[in-house]
Amino acid sequence: MSGWESYYKNEGDEEEEQEEGLEAGGDYSYSGRDSLIFLVDASRAMFESQDEDELTPFDMSIQCIRSVYTNKIISSNRDLLAVVFYGTKKDKNSVNFKNIYVLQELDNPGVKRVQELDKFKGQEGKKYFEDQIGHGSDYSLSEVLWVCANLFSDVQFKMSHKRIMLFTNEDDPHGDDSAKASRARTKAGDLRDTGIFLDLMHLKKRGGFDTSLFYRDVIIAENEDIGIHFEESSKLEDLLRKVRAKETRKRVLSRLKLKLNKDVTLTVGIYNMVQKAYRPPPVRLYRETNEPVKTKTRTFNVNTGSLLLPSDTKRSQTYSHRQIVLEKEETEELKRFDEPGFILIGFKPLMMLKKHHYLRHSLFVYPEESLINGSSTLFSALLTKCLEKEVMAVCRYTPRRNSPPCFVALVPQEEELDDQKIQVAPPARQGPLSVGLSRQEHWSGLPCPPPGDLPDPGDLTHISCISGFQLVFLPYADDKRKVPFTEKVMANPEQVDKMKAIVQKLRFKYRSDSFENPVLQQHFRNMEALALDLMEPEQAVDLTLPKTEVMDKRLGSLVDEFKELVYPPDYNPEGKVTKRKKDDESYGSKRPKVELSEEELKAHVSKGTLGKLTVPALKEACRMYGLKGGLKKQELLDVLTEHFQKA
Amino acid sequence: MARSWDKAAVVLCMDVGLAMSNSFPGEESPFELAKKVMTMFVQRQVFAENKDEVALVLFGTDGTKNALAAGDQYQNITVHRHLMRPDFDLLEDIESKIQPGSQQADLLDALIVCMDLIQEETLGKKFEKRHIEVFTDLSSPFSRDQLDIIIHNLKKSGISLQFFLPFPIGKQGGTGDRGDGSLLSDHHGPSFPPKGITEQQKEGIQMVKKVMMSLEGEDGLEEIYSFSEALRQLCVFKKTERRSMPWSCQLTIGSNLSIKIVAYKSITQEKVKKCWTVVDARTLKKEAIQKETVYCLNDDDETEVSKEDTIQGFRYGSDIIPFSKVDEEQMKYKSEGKCFSVLGFCRSSQVHMKYFMGNQVLKVFAAKDDEAAAVALSSLIHALDELDMVAVVRYVYNEKTNPQVGVAFPLIKDAYECLVYIQLPFMEDLRQYMFPSLKNNRKCTPTEAQLSAVDALIDSMSLVQKDEEEGTIEDLFPTSKIPNPQFQRLFQGRKKTIYFFSSHEEGPTCKKLKTEEEEAHFSVSSLAEGSVTCVGSVNPAENFRVLVRQKKATFEEASHQLINHIEQFLDTNETLYFMKSMDCIKAFREEAIQFSEEQRFNNFLKALREKVEVKQLNHFWEIVVHDGVTLITKDEAPGSSVTTEEAKKFLAPKENANADSAAAFEEGGDVDDLLELI
Repeated sequence: MSGWESYYKNEGDEEEEQEEGLEAGGDYSYSGRDSLIFLVDASRAMFESQDEDELTPFDMSIQCIRSVYTNKIISSNRDLLAVVFYGTKKDKNSVNFKNIYVLQELDNPGVKRVQELDKFKGQEGKKYFEDQIGHGSDYSLSEVLWVCANLFSDVQFKMSHKRIMLFTNEDDPHGDDSAKASRARTKAGDLRDTGIFLDLMHLKKRGGFDTSLFYRDVIIAENEDIGIHFEESSKLEDLLRKVRAKETRKRVLSRLKLKLNKDVTLTVGIYNMVQKAYRPPPVRLYRETNEPVKTKTRTFNVNTGSLLLPSDTKRSQTYSHRQIVLEKEETEELKRFDEPGFILIGFKPLMMLKKHHYLRHSLFVYPEESLINGSSTLFSALLTKCLEKEVMAVCRYTPRRNSPPCFVALVPQEEELDDQKIQVAPPARQGPLSVGLSRQEHWSGLPCPPPGDLPDPGDLTHISCISGFQLVFLPYADDKRKVPFTEKVMANPEQVDKMKAIVQKLRFKYRSDSFENPVLQQHFRNMEALALDLMEPEQAVDLTLPKTEVMDKRLGSLVDEFKELVYPPDYNPEGKVTKRKKDDESYGSKRPKVELSEEELKAHVSKGTLGKLTVPALKEACRMYGLKGGLKKQELLDVLTEHFQKA
Repeated sequence: MARSWDKAAVVLCMDVGLAMSNSFPGEESPFELAKKVMTMFVQRQVFAENKDEVALVLFGTDGTKNALAAGDQYQNITVHRHLMRPDFDLLEDIESKIQPGSQQADLLDALIVCMDLIQEETLGKKFEKRHIEVFTDLSSPFSRDQLDIIIHNLKKSGISLQFFLPFPIGKQGGTGDRGDGSLLSDHHGPSFPPKGITEQQKEGIQMVKKVMMSLEGEDGLEEIYSFSEALRQLCVFKKTERRSMPWSCQLTIGSNLSIKIVAYKSITQEKVKKCWTVVDARTLKKEAIQKETVYCLNDDDETEVSKEDTIQGFRYGSDIIPFSKVDEEQMKYKSEGKCFSVLGFCRSSQVHMKYFMGNQVLKVFAAKDDEAAAVALSSLIHALDELDMVAVVRYVYNEKTNPQVGVAFPLIKDAYECLVYIQLPFMEDLRQYMFPSLKNNRKCTPTEAQLSAVDALIDSMSLVQKDEEEGTIEDLFPTSKIPNPQFQRLFQGRKKTIYFFSSHEEGPTCKKLKTEEEEAHFSVSSLAEGSVTCVGSVNPAENFRVLVRQKKATFEEASHQLINHIEQFLDTNETLYFMKSMDCIKAFREEAIQFSEEQRFNNFLKALREKVEVKQLNHFWEIVVHDGVTLITKDEAPGSSVTTEEAKKFLAPKENANADSAAAFEEGGDVDDLLELI
């Protein structure tokens, strides 16, 4: 096997993938579908921009919705989405209320729906809207909410989560009609009681959006708990982040006990904040009809041809000619150690966490009040003190019943909010469809900002956290490998300084969402092209490629200066390694074997030609005679010379 | 994973001389400890199934058996086992055959025997590594005159050494971390040899140190271990641990600057490599089983279609898009071959640990024997270190793999310096979840009392010891030096099972052990679990006991289930399952007496004997006879009509038993179905 398997996945890896699936537990377990209605104010004010270049609030809403659609196609295509306009001239809804237009009922996101949304984009979109639907003069928000509630109740599937996002820039919709306003409040209360969340995505309004006029009583007070109040969004970016923060529902991987000692236990939830996203697995289709086929796997006896039940088989391994046979359950039991949970072992200073002892991606731990009361308080106390004393908690962690334990460090993290008052955390997946709002246009993922646009080195606003513990996996002795390291040859200060200049020139601000996965992006672009019958799929821009031109331009002559300082004139750093065979041979030992006889060394010393030898050779010589030299060539020379002159 | 190029020849060289058996009261002797360490080592070797070969040389033995012995030379040195693949015989030898000797032998002579053995027995075979592991207390005298020759020869033939001693020796220097290493020391125990060692041993230590220094320099001292250290950290057997493949590439910065590098995996989760194969329950052969996958339409009849009539497609939202493998291959993203290219540099604090992902850590060094590359990479490492910055790089292993974006940060140690590469997430891999703030939440604000309680808890459970004077912190619980208990469990579990088979062939001693264990098991786990609802196949005897004792099922019901399992076990005709059946039968018997259900048991046992005869399971019946499991007698339970005499006869060999017990069988009836009897 190659010791270097990467994360590249193909059909053969399915088993591994399944295992990953197990690991990811909470993400794959199915508890119903999330459903989300985008409720968009289509009154005239939504189509007016304050600035020539600025997007209209309506346009911004549509682009944002579209982005969620394409997102969902990739991440959770079973979820249900709908789009409803209100304040329209035409109406289209099951109860024939005026001024309410259901554009799309709750259904899975698909290509056709995305194309339909695209028609409402930009200036043409505005015209299209006016032709097809038109602005109405009046509406009743309570009726609007009623229609939304109906959409939810028309769905046949089990729904795990129901949410309405309201996009508007009108802060007092029924200012002149207190009866209407009160009906709207009542209706909103009804929705809340039936478990439907209503979020306000308020957009920029001339003179500011005042939530106290109307919406404060209508919108669920869940934000009060979180302690975060959103500002109104004037930029698409802000709106997108706001929407995404709401739209991805957090799923707990597991809820476990954290035992501080034999008497004190609290419960915590474990969350996955990073999870490798893979291309979705292919489905097999029947050639004639393109309908998906089911697969069935059967186990049968070769000799008798009879089907075997799981109880007709056992598990076996053979070691040096001896076979071990166990029941399947017994093989599971072998893996059982502790009950799932954390057992606190003790505390270590934070500085003892080694960055290079990374084992697998970390998880996030947050208190879970539902199982043991007071968990949050105790958790909070633990977090406060760990932060204050700069320690981490080392625990033995058993994720599941039949999984062996591992050591983990619970590293405290303090909460930081960014300027939008959204907890700064990675934004959710973003759709790949490149038409319209392309991320690549948007953030351009530029690791190298254009010259002259270097970020302020002191700018640290983006290193922000959610308060809780980061669960860091610690390696076992078995997981570490000794590597045959290359002999240390130190660069001199001049060389280091030149490199520093190079590093400074290529500075950029890293953001975890700067890079898209080019493999996935290309896959979805291909899918898109096929779905839309495009002739050629759009080529995804590979953000992982170095922008060599920009880099070269910024570096200017620095590279040549550095090379001159470091590389001998005839040196070719691109050259193929020709000493391949030699490499292989000396591979066993961690040091290059440079055999030098005593005579040779003496000769060098007496002739003063010792300096011609390479540093590894000199080190080897020092080692042979048990001499302790420094790391610098001159130090080695001195020690050796001294040794032989004495002798 | 067995690779011929990675093959090692290992000689275990153990001192069994007089002094090795000495120990303080209540402590294990060096002899026993050495055996333990060797056992662990060999176990790992056996289960790792690599191609390494292991020999065992003992010195201080009463006898002499080695190729060099002549006259009074090389006496009391025994080559116990020649170089060959380790197996269970070797483990058993170490466990039971090696006996303490009453002689003393020269350690250096023993080393020469080991070297000679390696030379002779690796001739014509390709071994990548050769080494000798010496287990001794250094209390035997040795003659120094050959020392230099030995060292020279060890070097010449590339044989490495490791020493395992009953006590720790002072170690200084080594490959400590710069930054964290100078402050922290992981060493256990005192840094000087404990008191109470003899002059001879002191001399021995000096000699061992000298040998190791001459072989490996400063690092050599790291290869001298105490037994307890070795037992604690199996990983000390560095010579047999897995080695990483080198990956050569160029680190590029822009289009004009490249540095030749080589990278190795330094941390990756070691998983259990061997998987369980599915075998037929009766024949225990895997060949008897075949799996097939069929495709069928999603209609009422589940019409099967052949694989050729299916094509590949992908979901895209609510749509399914047919996309053949050929098209996919043509249209998919293609990376442009291996690379390690810098995309830019940023502050190290911007790349938080919580974003690290992937399944490996790479250490990136300059290419071997390339001083120019080493200086160039060193410049980068120190530039990053001094600026507190990191590189963000694109990493592609080869043209067939997908590109990664990752971070490369500097790591500077006394002995080496490198860049450490860890993968970072793509935007698609991130999840944004929001959590209520803990900071300003009135509901979960802890009181002062709670805070100070937690404060005290943290202080009382510190895993480090601070030395204020030296300003060092000692890690009392270095997790990364602890071996994964899962592997230990596997080794032990498999060893037990395998011993179980083999020992049975020799005698029934292990069998008894097994039952005792089971008994003990019952008391602890079954009561704790308390949720047994039927007799399962994993722990039938135990389940049965729980069921009848906790009255979760009637005795009749539970015994039916138990008998079902016994029948299944016997049908396998496998010794392991005979033993399991025996456990069941014994449990049945005991509980039957307890619950006055003796008749039920007696009927069962009689029917069982018939069945055994029909199915020719004589081997099994022998076990029953050997263990003396017979009918329940009058003396044991008043409800029984069986006399002790009859019970004895019941187990007597067939010929005699036939006539006598014929009568007893009349009530038996149909022997084919044991269950009907009860």
